[in-house]
Amino acid sequence: MTLEGRGIVCDYGPVRALAGVDLRAAGREILAIVGPNGAGKTTLLKVLSGERRPDHGEVTLNGTRVSGSDAAWRARIGLVSHRTGLYEKLTAIENLRFFAALHGLRRNGRKLTATLEAVGAGDLAGRRVETLSRGQRQRVALARSILHDPEILFLDEPFTGLDPEGAAGLEHALTARRHDGAVVVLVTHDLRRGLRLADRVVVLRRGRKVFDGEAAEDGAAEILDHFTAGAEAP
Amino acid sequence: MTELRWTWLIARKDLNLEFRAGGRLLSMIAFVVLAGFLFGFALDKGQVPGRAVVASLTWLTVLFASTAGAGRIFDTEEEDGAFRHVLLTPVSRRAVFLGKTVANLALTWLITALSFIALTSFLGVRTSGSLAAHAAIFLPGTIGLSATATFFGRMSRHSNLGDSLLPVLTFPLLAPLVFFGATASARVFMALPWDEISSLVRLLWAFAIGSVAVGAVLFHHVTDE
Repeated sequence: MTLEGRGIVCDYGPVRALAGVDLRAAGREILAIVGPNGAGKTTLLKVLSGERRPDHGEVTLNGTRVSGSDAAWRARIGLVSHRTGLYEKLTAIENLRFFAALHGLRRNGRKLTATLEAVGAGDLAGRRVETLSRGQRQRVALARSILHDPEILFLDEPFTGLDPEGAAGLEHALTARRHDGAVVVLVTHDLRRGLRLADRVVVLRRGRKVFDGEAAEDGAAEILDHFTAGAEAP
Repeated sequence: MTELRWTWLIARKDLNLEFRAGGRLLSMIAFVVLAGFLFGFALDKGQVPGRAVVASLTWLTVLFASTAGAGRIFDTEEEDGAFRHVLLTPVSRRAVFLGKTVANLALTWLITALSFIALTSFLGVRTSGSLAAHAAIFLPGTIGLSATATFFGRMSRHSNLGDSLLPVLTFPLLAPLVFFGATASARVFMALPWDEISSLVRLLWAFAIGSVAVGAVLFHHVTDE
């Protein structure tokens, strides 16, 4: 399975957020998109997930063009962002039940609890989200994003505000998704975490791709140079 | 069938959140009761009989209260970015619109009933024998009101102007609905025969069906980037 973006251009009025970005993410792979604030990372993720139509360019899955207006495409993807997207007045399991129903899944309480247990949040099932810590909410959000077993998982700054334990749990869940064969696209401004987790790294700066390569140890210095100096892609 | 199920899921979730939040619903109820109370005091019943103005005041109270509520029904969605995740499920934008309209409609019915009771009580207007006729007028009126307010409630959340934009967008569009509704209700209060009211009710139904249809078709324009 290969998710590909070709020549993606996005403008916000007169501001060019993405200026012809190409990238490719394969199954059983974590692709980290890193860059400083305002580099265009979140815009690129929104284009890849179909939330935003690019002004130019296209996104394909295995060579077939995908679109956010296609319900079948939306059924294949999951998203975790720094905003958890949970309803505070509902319990963790009520949130999961609601989103499972929107996906057309008829999940009983036991299956939903099992999904929560898989991300280390089994004991939170009956608690209202408003009573949970940031780390606990993020675990519930992760359970929500994987309950329909998506083939492609998008993560938009998911580590923001997480304590070390919560971050470790999330990292474990991501590597598990990779092991299951999913495409994992991680957007982060935390280069070190991106390098540690990812198989490949794309560095964005001012809407342009300045690096695209393996996240191997010996390439880290080069990536760091691109990240900080903003050199043009070779 | 799926669309109906999605609509029901969205509506049930919104009502559940609304009742659990409590405060917002209570403030709407307080607004309606206080409006009736103040109108009752402000009106010189010796000069203007309550029966002459109760219909207009009820419709305006319902308009203000439900428009404010329609904007707030999207607040819970924006609380922690939940709406983004709803839109990323296979649920259709049409079902999201219809679900939110149904939730708004249920709240608007509550507001309408309370406004009606508060205003007729404070203005000393008797409604004996005409409740069915009033319901037949308010039913299409509140459907049109809820659908329009839901659509523009989302649009105002989508813009930088937020709440301040909602009345600017909705009130001109809802002016005909309020006119038809208030005129029809006034005729019921004056005990005129149904023949003199039915044409207005047909116009209210036309508005209701039109606003639901247009909202369902165009809703994706105010949700998608």
